[in-house]
Amino acid sequence: MIELRGVSKTVMSGGRPLTILHPLDLSIPSGQFLAVVGPSGSGKSTLLGLVAGLDSPTTGTILIDGTDITTLGEDQLARLRGEKIGFVFQFFHLVPSLTAFENISIPMEIAGRRDAAPRARRLLDEVGLADRGHHYPSQLSGGEQQRVALARALANDPVIVLADEPTGNLDSTTGRHIMDLLLGIQRARRSTLLLVTHDADLAALADVRLALRDGRPVGPRAVPVATSVEGSVSSGVEGPAR
Amino acid sequence: MRFIVRMALREIRASWQRLVFFFVCIAIGVAAIVALRSVIQSVRVALSGEARALLSADLVISGNDPFNRTVRETIAREARAGRVTAESEAKELPTMVRPADPAIVASRIVELRAVQSSFPMYGTLRLQGGHTYSHDFLRGHGALVRPELLAQFGLGVGDRIIIGTQRFQVRGVIESEPGRRLGAFSVGPRVLIDYADLESTDLLTFGSRVNHQLLLKVPDAALAALTMDLRQAFANEFVFVRSYRRNEDRMSQDFERAENYLSLVGLVVVILGGIGVSSVARVFVQQKIRSIAVLKCVGGTSHQILAVYLVQVLLLGLAGSLLGVVLAALVVAAVPSFVPNSVNMLQIDYGLTRTAVAQGLLVGLLVSLLFSLVPLLEVRHVKPSLLLRQDIPPAQRVDWVKWAATALVAGALVAVAAWQAGSLRVGLMLSGGFVCTAVLLYVAGLVLVRAVQPLRYARSFALRQAVLHVARPGNQTRVILLAVGLGAFFIIGVRALQANLLKDFAIQLGENSPDMFLMDVQPDQRQALSAFIDDHNGPNGPPRMIPVLRARVVGVRGRDVSLDRYEDVRGRGSLSREYTITYRPALEANEQVIAGQWWDSSTSGGAEVSIEESLRDHFQIQVGDQMRFDVLGRTITATVTSVRRVEWRDFRAGGFMFVFRPGTFDNAPHTFVSTLQAPLDPAARARLQGALVRAFPNVSVIDLRELLDTIRRVLNNVTLGVTVVGALVLLSGALILVGAVSMTKFRRVYEAAILKTLGASTRLIATMLLLEYGVLGAIAGTIGSAGAMVLSWAVATYALDMPWTSAPLLSVMGIVLTALFVAAVGVAASLDVLRHKPLATLRAE
Repeated sequence: MIELRGVSKTVMSGGRPLTILHPLDLSIPSGQFLAVVGPSGSGKSTLLGLVAGLDSPTTGTILIDGTDITTLGEDQLARLRGEKIGFVFQFFHLVPSLTAFENISIPMEIAGRRDAAPRARRLLDEVGLADRGHHYPSQLSGGEQQRVALARALANDPVIVLADEPTGNLDSTTGRHIMDLLLGIQRARRSTLLLVTHDADLAALADVRLALRDGRPVGPRAVPVATSVEGSVSSGVEGPAR
Repeated sequence: MRFIVRMALREIRASWQRLVFFFVCIAIGVAAIVALRSVIQSVRVALSGEARALLSADLVISGNDPFNRTVRETIAREARAGRVTAESEAKELPTMVRPADPAIVASRIVELRAVQSSFPMYGTLRLQGGHTYSHDFLRGHGALVRPELLAQFGLGVGDRIIIGTQRFQVRGVIESEPGRRLGAFSVGPRVLIDYADLESTDLLTFGSRVNHQLLLKVPDAALAALTMDLRQAFANEFVFVRSYRRNEDRMSQDFERAENYLSLVGLVVVILGGIGVSSVARVFVQQKIRSIAVLKCVGGTSHQILAVYLVQVLLLGLAGSLLGVVLAALVVAAVPSFVPNSVNMLQIDYGLTRTAVAQGLLVGLLVSLLFSLVPLLEVRHVKPSLLLRQDIPPAQRVDWVKWAATALVAGALVAVAAWQAGSLRVGLMLSGGFVCTAVLLYVAGLVLVRAVQPLRYARSFALRQAVLHVARPGNQTRVILLAVGLGAFFIIGVRALQANLLKDFAIQLGENSPDMFLMDVQPDQRQALSAFIDDHNGPNGPPRMIPVLRARVVGVRGRDVSLDRYEDVRGRGSLSREYTITYRPALEANEQVIAGQWWDSSTSGGAEVSIEESLRDHFQIQVGDQMRFDVLGRTITATVTSVRRVEWRDFRAGGFMFVFRPGTFDNAPHTFVSTLQAPLDPAARARLQGALVRAFPNVSVIDLRELLDTIRRVLNNVTLGVTVVGALVLLSGALILVGAVSMTKFRRVYEAAILKTLGASTRLIATMLLLEYGVLGAIAGTIGSAGAMVLSWAVATYALDMPWTSAPLLSVMGIVLTALFVAAVGVAASLDVLRHKPLATLRAE
């Protein structure tokens, strides 16, 4: 369960404060797929970063399974991410000096898991790269790199997967493959998925959609909120189109 | 922990090629430390076992006069008491030797030693050809000589030589001799004869410089007490008492000091490597920022990631240090083949010592760790959110941890330097010196980089770009300037100093100045010698005859200092030594009176003496003080009437600490020192010297031109030594340069790709690189050159007290060669930049 209470983010820009995310209340129940949509600069990635504890909010609290992550220090946040959150980026962000296999192993090694190696092999297999484990990122195509990133995000069986435009840097066919893989895994593991995307088709696959513009939730309730959605949702959140 | 080690190993796998140069720097420094320490420790081990053999006795009593009754009776008493179990006498003096065959025109000053049959009490005298020494070799006018004397004369075993007025047969060649101090100054090669034969040489004339030695064998238990008792008993006698233990202690201290100071050379190189490590760590973190953010994003804490990079540095530091140990092992293994036979008289087992290896490894690891710690702390500030947003402003807060770490590192480096030097003061001085040099080079670099900035408007595109690149941030310009500038500074500095010294000596030995000294001329030989030189030395004029006597200060009664007995004078160190004194009516050209008054030509009632200014400065002896001298057993009291400043560099007129007013020694027996201008032609000089020695066997000839050659040789060796240090530093600089180039190569490759796309040819880019590194090298050379001139000026003016001349050609050569060197290394390291195809590079970006 992810809960945001009055979460906002203001940064200094050109010597002046600039609010990139206005106070937002949001509850995302476990196992839900939420798509965050909006134009560039609308605050989508900021929201994702705040939920992942990559950045701290200017106001408000963020609760993950009841823990207020805004009170945690850098290292506690890192541990929380290692334990509960998997992240997929638009630009993959693999460590270039490590092979695909090693990139997938890292979160497990950090967590001190003894089964890191066999599990990394299984994950490679799961994303269809069983024979590419010894390749470096520079030796893989964009789609393959994103699959490695996906496997890495799932390495520690996170309850939350955050994806920041994971198909934004891929051609449409590869993007579709990645999305199929991501959604398949999300459903199979019943993890919570927060997907930031420009792609309306992708957003339409979500249980719930949150549209942002200039850091504020916007838009009519085009689609009723899905029955599976629990708790309160703020305005601008739409139900699934399925 | 497993993650940390694994990750560190993976990072090394990915980046060792870029980091290797810096750790080669560490390797060179560690090699220098381990090799120097090991060699000195090997020599020390060999010598400390031989301390007794070096003295060839347990206790030696020595003096420049024959032992008097007090000394002899005391020793006899101690022998009766069982505290002295055996004794042996020896005499040592410098004298001239020549071949008996008159056809061979050669002569040579040697250190003659006459020994009794009980010599050596300890140690072995080794002879060439595997012969075992016995006194029979010497009995009946036999002589054992060093091989260099035979080589010079072209003689062999069985041939005859003349010592004084007596013929001796060469019966063997000395390979090593106990009692001969390693590396000690000697006026010439050793010649050993029988004690009983010395008298027959007629060398023991009045005034000859004989050192009388009494070698004693003492039971171990009595040695310390007997040494003390004899020192006390002979406090007022002109003899010195030395025990082998004291020799051992002093030797041990000397070696420890030498080891510590020499290993600082290695430390300087390691520290330069450390500066390289620090700079590479900074660039490394910048390049790894995204990977660090990723690691944080997937659960890595700052401490874990910092630990990964610290372990990486430690592993590379360890690899560098181990490489250093291997290099040191190679160097040490090669030492025996470089050490000349004359020095390697002892059986020394050269090899790496455990303590040297441990110290080298520890210093290598510590320096790697300390220098990389502060830049690696930046890892903590990398925000994982930069994976989402690029425009994160850097934190403005003061980083106390970083400052505390900096202070800790500085303290630790001072501690390492102090530990290596074996002295906190030296450690602080070295660290302070390094900081000052670094700051000076940094400021000089800043000024010079600014100074070349107008060239960015030059017409040449390549030059414009080169100048821009030198000033660009992250170009490692400062580090390269520091390392290369320092190397150039060492090399040019020592050469400038050498040039100044040699020039000064050459001026002293001009065309028309005396260049040969004749010592121990007896009063009755004066006329004959003058006539002889008139006959044999052509138009060069008659020789000067300076009367000399030998005297000791045995008391001072003065305004500031009062020393009643010789024992008190002994407490003042060098004041108690034997001085060569003279008397004359007038000042020499190289003297001036700075206090009191020089005597007039009239004779006065009392004795008067003029002292050299250092006696006033060191011992507070003033004008008006009464000084007591022992001259040939007679005590003479003289009033100090003037203080002189002597231009010691002008040694033609000689220099005397004490000059007396004529009259005091008119009737005292004394000898003369003569100076003359000998022919410049070496063959004519040798003929004159040979003829002199034949006619006056007791007279010792000191050839200043030969001395100048010796000085030149010593200077060349010192210069070579310092040049090797400078070359090591310069090599470190080159390695740092290569490392810096490879660290920033990705940027250059990218820039080159863009320029090529925009129409730049490979040649243009090569020219740009050449000019960039040429400009950098010229700046480093200018810094080194300017520093070298300041150094040589300061040493010449303050330490050597001699006029300084600038060496413009040397400076220009220094700048040009440094520029060429840096340009060559820089371009060679950047060949990849020229080879890359632009499309592949741009695509990869």
